[in-house]
Amino acid sequence: MDGKNANPTILNASDLPTRRQAQRKKVVSPLASGLVPAYAQDPFVGNKVEFSDSDESEDDSVVEPIDEQEIYDLIATISDPEHPLTLGELAVVNLHHIKVTDDPSTIISNVLVELTPTINHCSLATVIGLGVRVRLEQALPPRFRFDVRIREGTHATGDQVNKQLNDKERVASALENETLMGVVGKMLETCK
Amino acid sequence: MLSPRLYILNVDKDPAEASRISKESAKQIQDKELKLLDLVQSLGGYLTDDDKTTRAKAIGYLSSVLGYLDPKALSRQQVAVIAQFLCDRLEDETGLKETSRGLFALQKSSRFGKEEATLVSSAICKVDLQKHPQGTRFVVLTLIDGLMANQRDALKAMGGKFITGFTELVGGEKDPRNLMIVFSIVKVILVEFDIVQHIEILFDVVYCYFPITFKPPPDDPYGITAQDLKFRLRECIASTKYFAGHVFPQLIEKLDSTSLSVKKDVLQTITACALSYGPQTISTHSTQLWDAVKFEVLNTTEEDELATEALSAIRAIAETLSFGLKSSPPATSPLARYLSGIIKECLKLLQEPQQKQAKPAGKILSKSATASAVALSFIVEKTMPALLLIHGDADDLAKQRALMEILNLLFQSTLEIFGTWGDITAEQVLSNPLTEYTDKLFEIYSQALMGSSREEMSLRITALKGLVLLCRIRKLFQENEIGMVVQYLDQVSLEVGGKGEIKELALQGLKDISKIKPNLIMDITFPAFMAQLPDSENEVNPSKPYTATLEALAKLSLGRSVFQVLLTRLLNKLDVVLRGKSGPMYPRAILSTLLYVLQKKPESSQEDVKTYFARLVIPLLGKTIIPTTDDSSEFEDFRIMTDDSILDVTGRLFNIIIRSLGFEEQIIVSRQLIDIFVLGIPSEYIPKTHAEIVARDFKPLQQTANKEQAGCTILLTYALAGLRREVVLTALSIPELIQQNVELATRTSHSAQRMAHVYLIALLANKWMKKPGDSDLLQKITADLLESVFNSMSGVQEYDNLVGQKLQTVLWITKAIVVRGDRYGMEITERIVGLLGDKNYGPTAGKGFAVLLGDDEFITKGNYAIIRPLTKQKIFTFCVPKIVEGFRAADSTTKPNYLVALSNILRNVPSAVILPELGRLLPLLLQSLDLPDPNVKSATIETLLITVTESADAVKEHISSLSARLLNACMNREENPPRIRSAALRCLRIFPGAVRTDLLLPYRRQVIRSLMTVLDDPKRNVRKEAVDCRAKWYSLDEPED
Repeated sequence: MDGKNANPTILNASDLPTRRQAQRKKVVSPLASGLVPAYAQDPFVGNKVEFSDSDESEDDSVVEPIDEQEIYDLIATISDPEHPLTLGELAVVNLHHIKVTDDPSTIISNVLVELTPTINHCSLATVIGLGVRVRLEQALPPRFRFDVRIREGTHATGDQVNKQLNDKERVASALENETLMGVVGKMLETCK
Repeated sequence: MLSPRLYILNVDKDPAEASRISKESAKQIQDKELKLLDLVQSLGGYLTDDDKTTRAKAIGYLSSVLGYLDPKALSRQQVAVIAQFLCDRLEDETGLKETSRGLFALQKSSRFGKEEATLVSSAICKVDLQKHPQGTRFVVLTLIDGLMANQRDALKAMGGKFITGFTELVGGEKDPRNLMIVFSIVKVILVEFDIVQHIEILFDVVYCYFPITFKPPPDDPYGITAQDLKFRLRECIASTKYFAGHVFPQLIEKLDSTSLSVKKDVLQTITACALSYGPQTISTHSTQLWDAVKFEVLNTTEEDELATEALSAIRAIAETLSFGLKSSPPATSPLARYLSGIIKECLKLLQEPQQKQAKPAGKILSKSATASAVALSFIVEKTMPALLLIHGDADDLAKQRALMEILNLLFQSTLEIFGTWGDITAEQVLSNPLTEYTDKLFEIYSQALMGSSREEMSLRITALKGLVLLCRIRKLFQENEIGMVVQYLDQVSLEVGGKGEIKELALQGLKDISKIKPNLIMDITFPAFMAQLPDSENEVNPSKPYTATLEALAKLSLGRSVFQVLLTRLLNKLDVVLRGKSGPMYPRAILSTLLYVLQKKPESSQEDVKTYFARLVIPLLGKTIIPTTDDSSEFEDFRIMTDDSILDVTGRLFNIIIRSLGFEEQIIVSRQLIDIFVLGIPSEYIPKTHAEIVARDFKPLQQTANKEQAGCTILLTYALAGLRREVVLTALSIPELIQQNVELATRTSHSAQRMAHVYLIALLANKWMKKPGDSDLLQKITADLLESVFNSMSGVQEYDNLVGQKLQTVLWITKAIVVRGDRYGMEITERIVGLLGDKNYGPTAGKGFAVLLGDDEFITKGNYAIIRPLTKQKIFTFCVPKIVEGFRAADSTTKPNYLVALSNILRNVPSAVILPELGRLLPLLLQSLDLPDPNVKSATIETLLITVTESADAVKEHISSLSARLLNACMNREENPPRIRSAALRCLRIFPGAVRTDLLLPYRRQVIRSLMTVLDDPKRNVRKEAVDCRAKWYSLDEPED
């Protein structure tokens, strides 16, 4: 059981903060559903805007900025390499340990993600960190710089891991390693 | 006697002739024209022939003749002689197949006895079977199977001689079809024979096949699956308890296998054995099995197939050990010892209920508890105090919740064992073990649901689910306790704000309880909910939104008696609200509530529907119409009933109720409505005080009608829609009525009114063209309308709105008659395709295809409309080639019309119809991606989505242009609203996986690169799609599993 936690505490998936569920479950009142009045169903009248969802999500002038929740939703569904659970469920990734500085006036925006390993000598912390990095690299626009680190005091060799994670060359050479990328690929498969 | 020779000559080249020959011989024997012995003798020469096949064929002849003989044809002596003769022939291995076939036929003879059976089985067991081809082995096995069926006692009497002989005979058999027979014979031996001396060899014969790894070849003629073999083999293994000592250690060892299907097979086999070996045998293995199987549950997460199988195995052991127990098992009983071990281990894991292994531990307990009432009692008694203690000690709410989840699992098991209120199954003799804890549980759960902060959503949800389960368990809670739960659920479902999920669950809980205790819902929930409804729209309190309350009422009112109550209460409420000078929203919501329930088809009889008509349709009709004819202040408040949005719901209520009336009632209804709406005759549906006034002043179909009265037309439309087409609309000339409505439809500037008229026209044209000449008159009306369209299309004139309206009306008429297969409809359709090339009216014609092929709510089967099958396909095959051709010839101003028409067709035709035509359509589809109209684009992308998923081959030559256009659609925000950008991304995402990787790789770089900019889209949904899409393209070069 070296460097592994066989019985970690897990969070209930439905308790995790997410924006997705709220969106998915945009409930239409059953009294209103299927009740588009017959007079509004004239195929000759172009867009049936008034009765389709004329909400903000179709209005491009309302900009929805990239925020902590969005970052969380991107990385919380990554799987842990040793448990068939997600980083969110294992509380390795936490919403309040993510910080986004997205200032439109500057060219560069920043994301800080702090990870909490399930035990403080977790042997896979680096791999998890790498997985998070790869996910962010694939999912965020290039103006973002990100800093993925182990939260202070949660890992025996946290500093060392952080150094590895934020050393460009080491990350680059890790990405060349096929076995490692195989593991990372598996972790990212569950991303929703 | 030439027969043997003829048979031998023919058997290869003309099997039919050969069997005719043997059939003929069989008949001769039965008719005593031929002696069987002579026939056997006639074979003599051939049986010593040097050629093996000749010898075999000669026996084949005899076998074939035997096969055709009546079972009673042979004497005792003949049977004995032939049996001996054939058994002797077994020494000549070349004819094994034919000889066995002969013996098989012979053993069916009614005079085939025990002695012959012993003789045959002894002889056959000496054969070295495995060196023969599988077809021959099959015949031999069939013979033994036949003996097993007809002469089982003889085989039993042979004892060990048969068992050893048979096991040697079949050892090494590999053919699946033969194994199916072997397994079923072995099963009979295991179950019925005295096998105690032969356990080892029998076990070896059976178990060597475990686990089955057979994969049927693609052209397998016998259709035997691995699953068939697994089942039969498992039956064998599970059929005798004597195997237990051998089988369990072996199975446990195989659990270490890395193959998922092997592990699954092992677990299912353990379950089968546990269920059949009996309590005594299982008790000696139960601990060992538990120790082996538990890891499959504890080390996996939820919904794992293996975990489910392992749980079944654990439960099966408990079920067998429960056998014969009627009351709580003594501590020394096998069941108690088995369960105690499980409980001890699980409780240890449950000390920290949030940890990963806690939930599996809870599942083990609850699954074992479903084994029997005694198992449940034992587990509940032994765990409940400890679980309540853990709950009491938990300082953290999340921990409490995790533990309550475990308790809920036990409640679920109790529900399974003890049943719910009103179940017809017999009650358990044992008393419910939860009874002792009812008060404590009620307290904990009530506290968690009602006493915790609103934010603690998942704790409250868990508590709510638990309470509902407890309510449902038969005779556990007292009526007043369930009443309390109902009150809690009322409160929760009326809570303002918060997540909808808990409210949904509360309502679901109320629904569940209404099935077992409907009186509590009527007495407690109904008054509570009604009291929440404000009396006027002005009083609407944002903290008491009426929509949510109405919604909740609607969902609870599907039961017949409950709906009756709802109807009365809501109609009263409607009056109160109207009197309070309401806007249209609230009255509409009240009516929508009734409509919602009616649409959900509450249980109601024909009588009920009549009552609904009298209580709902007639009063609403009066309330709507009278205020349009009476200016007095008494009716002023009701004038809002002619608001278009209310009229629409009222109309739908009319429709849904009238639809379900009987034929006779519909006739009466139709007359009254025509009197009111068309003829101006006093009707009994209008109260006496106003019948005359309405007859005089209510003229909705006159040009001069005011807006309120004209608006009421929609009520007539909805009502006629609900009538059967056999209901004759007396006193009316339908073509005249159509003409009248055509004029009204083209003149009115009010869109709701126009729609009421065109739908009415369509209904009449579809359902009521009955009298001779009607169709001709309709054709004339249509032709006149079309005439004026064509007259103004010459190109010099400007677009004329009136002409446009006429064209729209034509399209509705066309739709109505095309769906009933009218040939004239196709004629007009063709002319409408022609119109697509017109600058002025082409766009209307293009949109018109949405009318022709689209679904509307009026011309439907439910409304008794005539709808021929395959109409859409017909229009598709008729129009599409013309549209493709027209598109090629068209100039750039009118090209979009063709694409709009096409997209409307594609959107409404099943993809199976479209796919074969895709090759021709793709170029058009690609071009329509360049059109600015978002509706066209979205229809096109939808079509492409289906195309790429279902027939990737069709697009493979267009990947370059497709991907470029889709990328443009998601990157160009000016032209494409967010939903188009999302759709384009979704379409692009399905390429990887649907299309061969090597065809996509050249575009991978470009797609990934282009999508980078989309990652910065202002809309979150679009970004999300872009991320998913990119992830798919990223994973392209990774080797597929």
